[in-house]
Amino acid sequence: MWGYIEKLRSYLRVSGVSSASRRYFVMNFFDGAMTMLGVTVGAFATGSVHPRTIIGAGLGASLAMGISGFSGTYMAERAERLRRYKKLRKAMLADLKRSMHSKAFRIASLWAAFVDGVSPALAAAVSMIPFALALVGVIRVEHALVFSILLIMAMIFGLGAFLGKISRENIFLSGFKMILVGVVTALICLLLAAI
Amino acid sequence: MGRLNPVVKRLVLDVLKPHEPPIYELAAKLASLHGIDSVHVTLAEIDQSTESVKVAIDGSDIEIDRVKHCVEGLGAVVHSVDEVSVAKRMSLK
Repeated sequence: MWGYIEKLRSYLRVSGVSSASRRYFVMNFFDGAMTMLGVTVGAFATGSVHPRTIIGAGLGASLAMGISGFSGTYMAERAERLRRYKKLRKAMLADLKRSMHSKAFRIASLWAAFVDGVSPALAAAVSMIPFALALVGVIRVEHALVFSILLIMAMIFGLGAFLGKISRENIFLSGFKMILVGVVTALICLLLAAI
Repeated sequence: MGRLNPVVKRLVLDVLKPHEPPIYELAAKLASLHGIDSVHVTLAEIDQSTESVKVAIDGSDIEIDRVKHCVEGLGAVVHSVDEVSVAKRMSLK
């Protein structure tokens, strides 16, 4: 098991897909969180906060984002990496069929696609936990609404802090910048619902 | 009565490799092969996509085919065998 993980890590290292995967994770996790924020705030603004409806909408959105993310990223990454692999073969004047590079470019494409597909679904799934609890009667719907929004804001803050850590900036400032985007989104949703 | 079999004790190769994996990984992978005691890799030339390196391998019984297979597995190519040392080793038969 550990051997397979080490091999996977070496393929990802050789292909240089780590930085691209980080970007895909951040962008798509943010997408998933913001989508659920929109669904939650929109439901609140229209006065129809039904856990089953919100969970249904959330699951539908997660699935759509996941499938589109996976397939789109796989095709884009595969095309780009195949181009690089062919360029390397030309520079090496060798086939490279038996080399780790021929496996690395395929695995890198699958890995990037996996990260792109799973990250929005993960964000959406975490946001729906309070509504799932409300559905089974553990908490009230009004509390689920508040907890869900707080959870989304916490995730967005965490994402901003993560970006701050990567770029060696103030993690709190980065986190608050992301929350600001979330707050503006929520206000716009409320405004549109009021119109 | 024993037989004297030739064994490769030292091998110096001219290898062309992509930038990834780095030379320390190439050295480590070669050093993990049976019959190899030490590996010394020196960077000779570098360009946008590739690096030319000199790989000096010392051991008790170096298997050239396994070395070539290992090098090719890492996406590198053996351009030439620049140096080889072979010694006789007694085997009982």
